[in-house]
Amino acid sequence: MKYDFLDPDALARLGAMPLEARHAMTGSVAGRHRSPHRGSSVEFAEYRKYVQGDDTRRLDWKAYARSDRYYIKEFEADTNLRAYFVLDASASMAFSAANDSRIQFARKLAATLSYLIINQGDAAGLSVCQEKIHLEIPPTRRAAQLNNIFDVLAKTEPTGETGLVEALHTIAEKTNQRALIIIMSDLFCDTAALADALQHLRYRKHDIAIFHMLDKQELEFDFERPHRFIDMEDQTSLVAEPALIANDYRHAMQQFLIDVKSACHDVHADYHLITTDQDYEKIIHDFLSIRLPKKGRK
Amino acid sequence: MSVSFLQQSLLWGLLGVSIPIIIHLLNRRRYRTVQWAAMEFLLKASRESRGKKKLKYIIILTCRALAIAALIFAIARPLVGGFLGWGGSNIDTVILILDRSSSMEQIAENGDESKRLSAIKSVQLSLQSLNNPKLILIDSASAEPQSIPSPDALSELSATAATDTKASISALISNAIDHIAENSLGRTEIWLASDLQQSDWAPDDGRWDAIRAGLADLPQQTTLRIIAMGSAVTDNTAIRTLSATRINNELALEIELIRSDANSSTTIPVTYSINGNRSSETIIFDGQSYKYTKNLALGNKEGEGHGFIAIPSDANPRDNVSFFAYGEGTPAKTYLISEGGESNTWLSLAAAPPGLNDNECKLLSAQQADQIDWAGATLIIWQAALPSGPIAQQLNQYIETGGAALMLPPRGESENSFLGIQWGDLLTSPQGQYFIIDDWNRADGPLRNGIEGTGIPASKLKAIKRRDIIGEYTTLAAWSDEKPFLIRRVIGDGTAIFVASLPDYTWSNLADADVLLPVVQRMIKLGDSRYSSAFAAIAGSSKAKAADGEIRSRVDAYQESNSSNAAYEAGVWKIGDRLLATNRPDTEDEWLVLDQNNMEALLEGIDFRLFEESANSKPLIKEIWRALLIAMLVFLITEALLCLQPKSEKKKT
Repeated sequence: MKYDFLDPDALARLGAMPLEARHAMTGSVAGRHRSPHRGSSVEFAEYRKYVQGDDTRRLDWKAYARSDRYYIKEFEADTNLRAYFVLDASASMAFSAANDSRIQFARKLAATLSYLIINQGDAAGLSVCQEKIHLEIPPTRRAAQLNNIFDVLAKTEPTGETGLVEALHTIAEKTNQRALIIIMSDLFCDTAALADALQHLRYRKHDIAIFHMLDKQELEFDFERPHRFIDMEDQTSLVAEPALIANDYRHAMQQFLIDVKSACHDVHADYHLITTDQDYEKIIHDFLSIRLPKKGRK
Repeated sequence: MSVSFLQQSLLWGLLGVSIPIIIHLLNRRRYRTVQWAAMEFLLKASRESRGKKKLKYIIILTCRALAIAALIFAIARPLVGGFLGWGGSNIDTVILILDRSSSMEQIAENGDESKRLSAIKSVQLSLQSLNNPKLILIDSASAEPQSIPSPDALSELSATAATDTKASISALISNAIDHIAENSLGRTEIWLASDLQQSDWAPDDGRWDAIRAGLADLPQQTTLRIIAMGSAVTDNTAIRTLSATRINNELALEIELIRSDANSSTTIPVTYSINGNRSSETIIFDGQSYKYTKNLALGNKEGEGHGFIAIPSDANPRDNVSFFAYGEGTPAKTYLISEGGESNTWLSLAAAPPGLNDNECKLLSAQQADQIDWAGATLIIWQAALPSGPIAQQLNQYIETGGAALMLPPRGESENSFLGIQWGDLLTSPQGQYFIIDDWNRADGPLRNGIEGTGIPASKLKAIKRRDIIGEYTTLAAWSDEKPFLIRRVIGDGTAIFVASLPDYTWSNLADADVLLPVVQRMIKLGDSRYSSAFAAIAGSSKAKAADGEIRSRVDAYQESNSSNAAYEAGVWKIGDRLLATNRPDTEDEWLVLDQNNMEALLEGIDFRLFEESANSKPLIKEIWRALLIAMLVFLITEALLCLQPKSEKKKT
C-alpha cells in the first residue's frame, strides 16, 4: 500500500464495525441510517389518515376492515450517511514531541474512517482548512473517492495559521443535507469563535464529532532546562524558564480544555480528547463502539 | 558592632557567591530551541509569572548565593563584637594595660565581680578567640611591661591582683609606646582596661601630647582599644583618715565618709581599732560626704601605735578601711621671732596656752634666729622685718619640707622680701573708724569653719593699724576695702601665712582669743602634721616601698596580705625600723568618670576604639561560625522548599 497512514491489518480488524450516525440523516439513496422521512423500509413507523392524493396502494386494508376508516401505513426510511472530514492543516498540526505528528495522526484517523465509511456504502468527503486555503472534496459513495481522499491527505502539509473556524462556517452554509462532520484539529484558535462555528453546524442539524488532538508534552509541559519556544504558526519566539511558568501554563491549558469541552457539550458534539501517543486503532474502535445503537433498537 | 576574621584571605571565596548567578545566566544562554504549538498558553503563563514567580526565582537564587556566602564566612572564622574593627583579628602582639587601682574593685550594678576581674575575664575570652597573639601586661601598679605566657595565667598573677594604688593612665600608655618602639613586636595593639576614672586619666597631664605624637611616630600603625568599665558607682561608701594627730594620750582622727548616693540620710556603723582594741559607733549623715573628729584614747600605750577605721563591706571593699599609725608624742615647739612689745605676750599665749602642756613657745629676737632648731620646730612665728640672707634660706627650706610659718608685720619699715612677698606701707584708720574684716574663706585656711560647722568670729576684729601685703599670694581674708588681711603662700610641702595686723592694742584687738588662738593653733597642727605624716604613705608610692635590706611585714589585724603585692596594698607595715600606714590615694574616692567627649578630645588623632563593657565578664569578641553554618542550612532548606513546591503542583494537571 502506497500510503503510510493506512494499515491493512487495522482496516481488516475494524472492517466489521459499522459507523452509525447518532442523528437521522438525509441521504440521497437508501442506506443503513435513519432518515427523518418515511420510506419503504420494513420498519413500521406509524398510521396516519388518508388524505386526498395519497397513493391508494399504501392504504391498510386490514385497518379499513376493522375500523371502516382509511389509514395509510407508514414505514421508516433508511438512507445513506454523508461524512465530512474537516482536517485542520495549520502549522501547529505539525507539532511532534516524540510520537507521530498531529497531522500524521490525523491522516491515520481520517483515512481509516473514510475507508470504513465508503466501504459500508456511505459517502465521505474531506475538507482541508488552512489560513488562506480551503480545499474541499465533496462527499460521494464511489470507491474512487478513497483515492481522492488519500491523495489529498498524503499531499497536505501543515502550514500557516489555522482557518478552522472559517472552514466550519463555510461547511455549515454549503451543506444543506444533514451530515456527520468529523473535525480533526488541535483547536488552537479563539474558543468563543469555535463555539460559534459549532453552533452554526448544530443549527444545520449536523452530527458533530471532534477529535481534539494534543501532544502529551503540551499537556504536561515537563521541560527541565530553559527553552526558546518558537511559535509554529507565526514564528514569534519566547525564552522561558519552564520551572517558572509551568504551573501557569498548565493552568491555562486546563482552562482551555474546559472551555472547549463546554463548547462541544453545548452542541452535543461527540468530543474526544486524544494524545498522539495513543493507539489510533483503539481510538477508532472506541469512537465506533460508542456510536453503536443501544440494545432493542434495530 | 563590627566583624573581623581569623582567616581573612579565605574571604576571596566570596567570589563564589556569583556561581549560582553565573550558572543561571549560562543556563539561560544554553537554552534549547523547540517549535511550539500551544504558544498562546505559554505567553499567558509567561505574563502571569512575571511578578511573584520571578520574585520566587530570585529568592531561590538569593538563597543559593547566601548559602555559599554563609559557608565562606564560616570557614573564614568571623569574630563579632565592637571591640575589633575590620581585620582587627590579625594581631601579633597585644599589650594589655590593666588599671588595677582601688576604684577598679568596684562591683558593677547587677554584677557579681569587680570591674578588674570582669575586664581580665573578658580579655581572656577574647584572646582565646584570636590566634594566640603574644601578650604583654603593663599593670598600673608596677607600670612595667612583662610577657605573659598564656592568657589563662592572667587571673592567677599577682601583677593583676587588686591593689590600693592609683593608676596613671598616661604614664602607662607612654610605657607601652616605649616598649613597642624598643622591641620588634609585629602588628601590635594596645588594649587598655580601665574604669575611666578622671583622676587616673588626668586629662591635664602634659604627657598626652607626647602620647599622641608617640603613637603617630611608631613604625607601624598601632590601635588603642579601650575596654571601658566605667559603669556608675552605686551603693558605695568610702572611709578615709584625713589626719591622725597625737595629743597627749589621745589620738585625734579626722575622718571623712563619702558615699555615692546622696538622696537620703544613711546610717553606717564605723569600727575603730587602735593597738588591737576595737570599738564601734554608728554614724548618721546626710549628703555625699561627712567629716568628723574622733579622739581615741591611747591608754598606757607608750611609743608607736597603729590602727584602722572600717565600715561594713559594700560595692567596693577596698575603700571600706583606712589605716593610721603614730609615733612618740612630740611637744609642739613654736619659735616666736619678735620685736618685743605687747604682741609677744599674746602670741606666746596663743602658741602655748595654759592646759596644753605639750605646747612650748620659745621667744627669740630676729638676731637670735640662728638658734632655731629647724628640725624640731612645729611652727615659726615671725613678727619682725622679713628675714634675709642665710636665715631666710633656712626658713624657706623649713617651709618647703613641710613646715608652717606665721608671718606678722614689723612695726618699723623694711624693704625685705620673703617668698616674693613684701610688707607695704603702714596704714592707720581714720579717727573713730576701724579696719574690719568683711570677707574670709570659711572652707579653707586658718579661718575655716570647724568640722562641726562653727565659724570663726573674724568679723569681731577691729584694727586701727595695718600693713599692706605686696606680692603674689592667695587671699584667705580681706579687709572691707578688699585689701588683704590674711594671705597664704604655699612653698613645697609647707605653708606660710601672712597676717596684716598685730595683736597689740595700738594696732588691733587681734589679741582677743576669737581669731588669734584658732589661727595659731591651726598653724601648729599644720606644722605638726610634718611629723605625723612620717607614719603615713600612699600605697604604691616610693615611701611605701622597702629599701634594699629592709624587711616588710604587716602588723595590722584587718586582713591577710598578698606578700608579692604588699607594696601596693593598704595596711600598717613594719618596714625595717619604720612603722608605716599606707592607704589608697584620696583621688581614688573621686568617682568622676571621663566622658566620651573628653576622651575624644584627649585621644584626638589617635586610632582608638572604645568598648563599653557591661556588668559581667563576657568575651569582647566571639566566633560565630556555628551560627553561619546554621544560616547556610536554613538557606539551603528554604531553597529546597521553594524548588520542590512546583513539582507537587504538577500532579494536579
